[in-house]
This record gives sequence, C-alpha cells and structure tokens, in this order.
Amino acid sequence: MSILDVKNLTKRFGPPIGGFIAVNNISFSLKEGEILGLLGPNGAGKTTTLQLLLGLTTLTSGTITYFGKDFVTNRSKILENVNFSSAYTRLPKLLSVRENLNFISYLYNIKDRAARINKIAEIFHLKELWNKETRTLSAGQATRLNIAKSFINFPKILMLDEPTASLDPDVAGYIREFLENERKEFQVSIILTSHNMAEVEELCDRVVFINRGKIVADDTPENLAKTIEISHVRLLIRKNDMAKFNSYAKGAQLDWLTQGPYSLLNINEKEIPNILRSLAEIDINYDEISIERPTLEDYFLEKARSKT
Amino acid sequence: MNFARIYGLILRYNYLLRRNFDRMADAFYWPTIDLFVWGLTGLYVERLAGNTKIIVAILSGVVLWYIVFRNQGEITVNLLEEFWNDNLINLFVSPLTFGEWIVSVLLSGIVKSIIALFFAATVAFLLYQVNIFVQGFYLIPFAFLLILSGWFIGLTIAGFVLRYGTKIQFFAWTLVYIFMPFSAVFYPVSTLPTWAGKIAGLVPMSYVFEGMRQVINTGTFDINKFWISLGLNAVYLIISIVYIKSSFKKALERGLINII
Repeated sequence: MSILDVKNLTKRFGPPIGGFIAVNNISFSLKEGEILGLLGPNGAGKTTTLQLLLGLTTLTSGTITYFGKDFVTNRSKILENVNFSSAYTRLPKLLSVRENLNFISYLYNIKDRAARINKIAEIFHLKELWNKETRTLSAGQATRLNIAKSFINFPKILMLDEPTASLDPDVAGYIREFLENERKEFQVSIILTSHNMAEVEELCDRVVFINRGKIVADDTPENLAKTIEISHVRLLIRKNDMAKFNSYAKGAQLDWLTQGPYSLLNINEKEIPNILRSLAEIDINYDEISIERPTLEDYFLEKARSKT
Repeated sequence: MNFARIYGLILRYNYLLRRNFDRMADAFYWPTIDLFVWGLTGLYVERLAGNTKIIVAILSGVVLWYIVFRNQGEITVNLLEEFWNDNLINLFVSPLTFGEWIVSVLLSGIVKSIIALFFAATVAFLLYQVNIFVQGFYLIPFAFLLILSGWFIGLTIAGFVLRYGTKIQFFAWTLVYIFMPFSAVFYPVSTLPTWAGKIAGLVPMSYVFEGMRQVINTGTFDINKFWISLGLNAVYLIISIVYIKSSFKKALERGLINII
C-alpha cells in the first residue's frame, strides 16, 4: 500500500522567466515498509525534493499526498508521523543531549516522554553523553544523536539524508541493522539519500535516480546495475609479458589502465571470453584474474557523467 | 495551537538562557550597569535641580525601557539562535507551526521581562533606595503597553532577518534604539524639537513614559494616553504580524535550508 504519493512535483526558484527549475515534474510513490533510495549527482535536485517532502520549501506545482491526505493543507498533522535526520544538520549546540531530546519530544507531543527518551538513549548508546553539551560531541556522536532524534516520534515515514556519513564503519553497520529491523518490526518506510552506493544496495528496495531535476530511473538497485554492460576485469600480468599486453590492448583499442601491478580492463561482459582467448593465443600469461560485475556505483557514475 | 509544542520551545529557550553567558549578560549584567550609571547621573542632576523625583523618573525609565528591549530581543535573538544553530530545519520538519513559534517567543518574552522588571527594580532599590513600585498598579498597564511595543518591533526585525538573512542581524540589537529618543524615556516630549515631537506622537512608548512621569509627579494618570498608546500598538502589531508572515512565506519559497 502506498503511503506517500508524489505527482508532477515541480519547484522553481526565482521568477517564471530566468528562474531555475530544481525539480521538474517528478512523480513517485513510497510503499509501507519500503526503503527508497533517492540518488543523483550534486545539484540534481535530491535536497530540494527532500525539502519539498518535509515542507521546508513551497512547491510550484504538483501534489504531495501522505497517508491519503494532501500535505499542503494537512502539514502539521502529517508531520506527527514523519521525521528527518541529516548528517549536515545539528541540534542546538549549547543544549545537552538530554535537553535536546526533551524539548524535541514536546514538539512531537510524545505521550510518555521520559520513557521514550530513555529508550532512544539506550538504543543509540547516548546515556554516556547524556549531560554533555551537543557542541562537544564528535561528528559521529552528533550524527547518532540526530538519528536518535528522528526516531523519537515512532515515525511511519523517515527521511534520512546521508545517515551514516562521518560514522565509524562499525557504528554505520549498527545503524543500518537498526533501520532494517525498524522496517521489519514496525513497517517504517524510509527515503534515504547517500553517496555510499554499497549502503544503498544493501538497504534499499528501490532507487529513484534524479538528474537535472528529473527522474531518469526508478527501479531496484539490481535492475539498475544490470543496465550497465561494462564489467571490470583485473589481471595480474606477468612482468615479462607486460610490454606485449600493452601493445595488444592499444591495438585492440581496449579501455584499460594500470593500477600498481594490476591491469584493469573495463569491457563489455560478452567480450570477456574473446579477450581471454586472444591473450592465450598471443601467449600473454597472467597469475591472477578477477571479474567484477557492474554495481549501482557504475550505474551512478554513468548517469552522473551523461549529459542528458 | 498546540500548547505542548509551545511549551517545548519555551523550555528550549529557557535551557539556552541557563547555558549562554551572552543571554545571562543581557538579562542581568547590562541592566545592572545601566542602573548604576543612570542612577549616578540622576543623583547628580537631582543635586543640581533640587528635585528629589528626578532619580525615580530616570531609574523608572531605565527599568521600563528594559521591558521593550527584552520583548523585542526575545523574538529576534531567539530567531537568530535558530539560524546560528542551523536549527530552523529541526523545528520546521516537526509539526510545529510558525504561529506556535511566534506565540512561544512572545510568552518567553513576557516571562523574562517580568523577571527583568523585578530584578532591575531590586537593583534600583539596593543601589539608590529608589522604589519604582511607587507607581503602584499603574505599572501593570505601562508594562502591558511596553510589551506590545517590544513585540511589534521584534516581529518587524525578525521579518527583516527572515527576508535578508543574518547579514542584517545587527538590527536585533540596534534597531530598537531608533525608537528611544522619540519615546522620551528620560525627558518629557516637550523637550524634543517640533519635528521630533511629531514623530513621538506616533510612537506608542512616548505615551507610557509621559504617563510614568505624570504618575511620579502627581500620582494621577491621563487615561487618554493609555488608549492612544494601545491603539498605536494595535495598529503596528497587526502590520508587523502581516509582515513577518509574508517574510516567512518568502523564506519558504527560497527554502529554509537556503536562508542563512
């Protein structure tokens, strides 16, 4: 069941003539319990889309519907069930961790405030930071506090902007696991932006790719990666065959580069058997070979570099 | 209006007051210094003029002016605090409405101005044995009118900040003082040159300070001054609310993330 529907959403900054269209007629939906990745290069329109979904900016045209209700006319009621966390925002720096969570709990009208705040503090290991001023927290601790804040109101929909940026790998892993559990246990739906493609592949059921304000793809991470035909073949060529290999690669007009002792070929998956056969025929020997199939990162790079 | 959300914000600004030495200085240090300096000035003038009521009038002016200053400051500095802390986003991704934010800073201003009034009155009494409560119940309408004046000035400045960002943040501490000479805080309106007297007629605070001196000197208060001041305050307050609402709308069009 869809709990968020975005239809023909457009945001223009500045006047109708000479202004800038940051989000251009986009439509997508979010199902209950779904984790949706919002990807795109810098300036693609991801942040503006998140701002529109959170009411931090006004829309120029189109509609946003949460739980079957229009967002513009029911903003306050809807936001009781939505929350947001970004690695790039901070809670008031002179307030302690406890004070910040306390005043935020009033904004969401939480019923059993003390119990909820304590529970959140336990989950995100904030008890040891309880009376520390937020300005004294490390970047990772502040990010943890931000994510904790975003769970304070038992959100049905969560918007996370780079949730694990600046976190140690073990803490980032813990947060990912927590998000996955929340989704399974409480059917929390999440919209996530991240530059960590491995994280997006691991967490997201679906990815909406935005470029120049328009949606250019809306599919699963696996299907998006499959649209890329180029694989990466890493070969450890024997030293005395290197010159021969370089001359062959040049002649065959292969896309290749040298990385330390390895030669890295970017080639169409279907061409791999032919190339390996050619190397054997001209007696070029290698001691190691690894083939990396296309990933979401390859898809991202191709789309980000494309002009259209 | 949701009172839990309003209370949450008042709590946030109260936490800030306890932890921020700038705010502590605004609340306690500067009033003490002002009262000390103006009290000495009053004593000197009193000796020259031989009028024992001068120091009461001057110190009452200082104390009552702080009501205007605190109420406008509570609106503008709290808005700036949200800018400085990048906290506007945390506030407005919550169900909080802009109206609730305004109500919370207005209520916060009332509480802090009452604290400031009692603190300053105590300091004036301790330093110079001047009891500003000699004005009795007249202080209530005076304080009420000055709170309204602080609100319209604060809301207007906050509207400027929302439109033009922190580059004009100095208005938060300076713009209120443009009203001071025309408010006739320390001298009668009749002292002002004709052109300035005409402007003072449009400044609601001038009727309060004139009334304050009238009460100190004669023990009576011309009720017409109250109504004129209330009328002017009401007009300016309505204009300032319309202005700040339109400024917030403009800020939303630009995106709250983009205003600094």
